[in-house]
Amino acid sequence: MTPATEERQLRRALHDTLQSVPPPPVPLEAIARRGKVIRLRRAGAAVGALALAGIVAVTVPALRASHPPAVPPAAPAVTAGPDGVFASGTADGHPWRLAVQNVADPGYRCLPAIVINGTDADPVSPAPGNAASVAPGQAGRGVAFAFIQLPAGVSGVVVNGRQHLPAVIVNACGYRYRLVGFSYPLAGSPRITLAKSYPGWPADVFVPTPTTQDEGLWINTDTAQGVPAPAIVASATVASATVASGTLPGGPGWIIRVQFGPGGDCYEFADSLGRNQMGYCGPVSTPAGPETIMALPLGFGAPGVGAVGYAFPVSPATARVRAVLDNGSSVLATPRIVDGRKYVAFAVPSPRSLHRLIWLDAANRAIASTTAVPQYGYTQFQP
Amino acid sequence: MTNRRDELAAVPDVIGTDGGEDFGAFATSRWAGLVRLAFGLTGDRWLAEDMAQTALARAYVAWRRVSQADDPDAYLRRILVNASHRRFRRRRVAEQPGDPPETPVEGPADLVGERTALLAALRQLPPRQREVIVLRYWADLTDAQIAATLGCSPGTVRSQLSRALAKLRNSPVLAEGDGP
Repeated sequence: MTPATEERQLRRALHDTLQSVPPPPVPLEAIARRGKVIRLRRAGAAVGALALAGIVAVTVPALRASHPPAVPPAAPAVTAGPDGVFASGTADGHPWRLAVQNVADPGYRCLPAIVINGTDADPVSPAPGNAASVAPGQAGRGVAFAFIQLPAGVSGVVVNGRQHLPAVIVNACGYRYRLVGFSYPLAGSPRITLAKSYPGWPADVFVPTPTTQDEGLWINTDTAQGVPAPAIVASATVASATVASGTLPGGPGWIIRVQFGPGGDCYEFADSLGRNQMGYCGPVSTPAGPETIMALPLGFGAPGVGAVGYAFPVSPATARVRAVLDNGSSVLATPRIVDGRKYVAFAVPSPRSLHRLIWLDAANRAIASTTAVPQYGYTQFQP
Repeated sequence: MTNRRDELAAVPDVIGTDGGEDFGAFATSRWAGLVRLAFGLTGDRWLAEDMAQTALARAYVAWRRVSQADDPDAYLRRILVNASHRRFRRRRVAEQPGDPPETPVEGPADLVGERTALLAALRQLPPRQREVIVLRYWADLTDAQIAATLGCSPGTVRSQLSRALAKLRNSPVLAEGDGP
C-alpha cells in the first residue's frame, strides 16, 4: 500500500467511525454552570492570594519589629466540628442532623453537599443566598428540614418570631459555608426572619415547601423554577455524562445519561435517535448511604418494543453489579465515574423484567443483593 | 411522578446575557465536532461528552477573548487535548473497564469504540501518537497546527505521525485496504 493510499484509507476510516457517533443535544445549561464554577474558583483563588499577601504584609513587619501581633476581635459565628454538622435535634421522635460532607468517592475531587442524616445530599455552592428544604420520609413522616446559606454580615435567623438560630460556619472541601438549619412540620410554613437586615435580602426569607412525592429530593430556591431566591447566587456544579448505551434485540439503540447537581441525580433514558425519551430525578446518594435505584420504562415507538432503563450510584467498594433477569439470564454492569461518583446503568428489554440485583466487589464477591427492585420510579436500598 | 425532561433541557439566562447569545450559537455549532474529536482521542463516548463540555465551559469563561481570537477552534482544540491529558492521568486511579455481559442481552459494557477495528487500533497507540493521527486525518490539521495544539515542534509531529502509521500498518485498519 502506498503512503497516499494509507492516508486516504485512514482518513476515510476515521471519518466513517467518528461521523457515526451521534452526539446528544448540546448541554448549554451544564456548560454555563461549569463556566460559572470555573469563574468562582478563579475569583476564590484571587481573593485567597490577595488575603495571603495581606497577611504577609501585616505579619512580616510585625515579626521583624518583635511586636506581638494584633489580636482580631472574636468572630460571633459558631464553627462546626470536623464532621460538618451545623444543625441537629429530634423531630417526631427521630433524631436528625444536617451536615456538609464530601459526596465524591475517595480519590476524586471533593464534592461538598448538604446531607440529612448522612444521606439525601444537596450539592450546593458555598455562595450565600440559597435556601432549600426536603421531606425525607425515613427521618420522620410529616417533618421537613431546611437550611439557609447566609451572608457574612448576618449572625443568624429567627424562626417563627421566637427561636433564634445562630449561623454556623462549616469548612468543607476548601470552601466556607455559613449556614442555619432547622426542622418544621410539613403541614406548615415557618416564618424565617433575618437576625439583622442585609442589603439585597428581604426581611423574611422564603423557604420552599417540599412535597412528600419527592422524598429525599431537595428543593433549592436558586434552582427551582418560579421560586424567589433570597439573593442571586452561583449554583453548584452540574455534571452530565452518558453512563451506558447499547442495543436492544431487534435493533433499537439506547442511551442512559445522568445529570448530577442541585436538582438531584437526574437520569434520561432515550433511544439512540432521540425520538423517545424518559427522564426523572431522584435523591443524591452519599458514598456510604443508601443507593437510589431508578427505573425508567420507555416505549420505543413500535408495539412490544420497549425496555426499562435502570440507573443508580454505587458505593466505592462496588466493582460491578449483576442484574439477574426473570428468565435467568444476567447483565454484568460496570460502573462509570461521573464527576467523582460511580454510577451503574443498564437496560432490560421487554418482555423481560429485572428480578435481582447483586453488588460485586473487585474480587467478584457479592457485597449485597436485593429483589426489591422498582419497575417505575425509584427506591432506596442500603447495600 | 414529574417528568424533568424539560428542566434538563432548559437553558439558563446566563447563555442569553453577558454576550452569551453569541456563545450559545458558537457552542451549538461546535458541539458535535468537539464530541467526535474527543471520542477519537479517547475512544470513550461519555468521556468525550464530558471533555467537550469542559472545553466549551472554559471557552465560555474566556468568551470575550475567544470570540475575538483569529481561530477560536484552535483554542477549543487545545483545551480539549489538555483535558484529555488530565483524564488519562485521572483514569490511572479510576475504575478499570470490566468484563462484557455474560449473555447476549446488550449491556452498558458495549462501548461504541470497541465495535470498530479502527478504535481498537487507536487504543494501542500512545496518547501523543493517537492525538497526531486524529488531528491529522480527522481534523485535517497541518503539522504546524498540530504542533500548536499539542505544544510541540512540527518535527515532533512528523516523527510521531511516522511511528503511529508504522504501528497501524500491523493492524487490520490499514491491512484490509490493499487495493487501489
